[in-house]
Amino acid sequence: MTNFAIRTENLAKIYGHGRKAIRAVDGLALNVPEGSIYGLLGRNSSGKTTTIRMAMGLARPTSGSIEVLGLNPWPDPSRVEMLRQVAFVPEDKANIGLTVRKVLALNRSFYPDTWSDALARKVVDRLELPLDTSFIKLSLGNKTKSALASAIAQRSRLLILDEPTTGLDPVALDALLRLLVEDCTADGRTIFLSTHQLAEIEQIADHIGIMDRGKLLIEGPLDDIRASFRRVTVTGANLPARGPQILSARRDAHATQYILRASPEAFTTELTRNGATIVDSEPLSLSEIFLALCRREEGTQEEAA
Amino acid sequence: MLPLRISASSGVPVYLQLEQQIKQAIASGLLHAGNALPSTRRTAAELRINPNTVARAFQNLEREGVIRTVPGGGTFVASEAALASGLLKAEKLRRLRPLAQQLAVEAAQLRLSAEDTHKLLDAALEDLTRKSRADKRSPEEPQ
Repeated sequence: MTNFAIRTENLAKIYGHGRKAIRAVDGLALNVPEGSIYGLLGRNSSGKTTTIRMAMGLARPTSGSIEVLGLNPWPDPSRVEMLRQVAFVPEDKANIGLTVRKVLALNRSFYPDTWSDALARKVVDRLELPLDTSFIKLSLGNKTKSALASAIAQRSRLLILDEPTTGLDPVALDALLRLLVEDCTADGRTIFLSTHQLAEIEQIADHIGIMDRGKLLIEGPLDDIRASFRRVTVTGANLPARGPQILSARRDAHATQYILRASPEAFTTELTRNGATIVDSEPLSLSEIFLALCRREEGTQEEAA
Repeated sequence: MLPLRISASSGVPVYLQLEQQIKQAIASGLLHAGNALPSTRRTAAELRINPNTVARAFQNLEREGVIRTVPGGGTFVASEAALASGLLKAEKLRRLRPLAQQLAVEAAQLRLSAEDTHKLLDAALEDLTRKSRADKRSPEEPQ
């Protein structure tokens, strides 16, 4: 049986009351397998950060349940037990007037059992992080790097990163990806990160979830998700416009282009049997899958309006 | 280091890209029977991809008899005999059929004759044989 690093059931967070209530997270069922690199993807204000805040015990769920490493992150003492085993890089970094060297020393004192000085040095070197500048004077990218150095050196069972690429240049981003793969995945450790930088995550993640308006649109192993989506161009008469497998269908004078969301082979076999010709069939990149799913949500809302 | 390159935006699963490239390296003579492959973690770090993905590619290649893993000793390209018998001919043909179909569709769309398409494939096969021979003649480069 798979163990889950993070698991939520029907999780909801509602801010405000009545007509003005905002459903930031709305019935979320998240399953983050232990040992995975899990990318939580979504547009701005899709509920990613609120979900992470609930996982870290920084926000109380309105309803539903959440477990982090099998522990409930809201009440003490289970929250303390959870925090000992989780490293966290928040999106908004607190401004403190200590040098990076002192920030690292402070974090070290919280995690005497697992902290690695060698790893902290490695992250500082690889990311070219200035040690003796006050944190408050650092650029946005260097603040991100400083938080990453503390979190990685902590060598936790679970690493939670909220938009870890904020402010990083391409060289630093590449160095970060290497550090994550090299030093944060051994011994069944889990990385859970939220982002809208799809291309980088597509490389290192093995599981993804796509969130939109507080709900999960899709979740699973990235390879499975890739295999179930396909763009197919078809010519022929009486082609279907709707169906359970069809995410979208665009028709022009010559051909119809489908974006399929499940079992594309069965769909094309059926069409061919009915006399249609498959002109082209190609896989979608994660970014194309993301756009296809999130645009469809927009389309549905317009229809409803 | 093997000239492995992963394209994240191609839509082809990364483990398949890896499998194909390692097979290509063997088919083109870049890797020989008995050559050592870098470890899963090192390959993953070099390519900035998930270690589980590399492990999956290596497992598939091992199941097909392309590589073999010595417990605690690393991963190696299988022996010539294992490479020859590892994939039964039917299995090999089954794997290549989608590519052949794709070639046929593209050729039909470009209004190429069957004869021209056959010639194209023959030329590609000849190219590969010539390259492989040239590689064997040239002195071994240090790995």
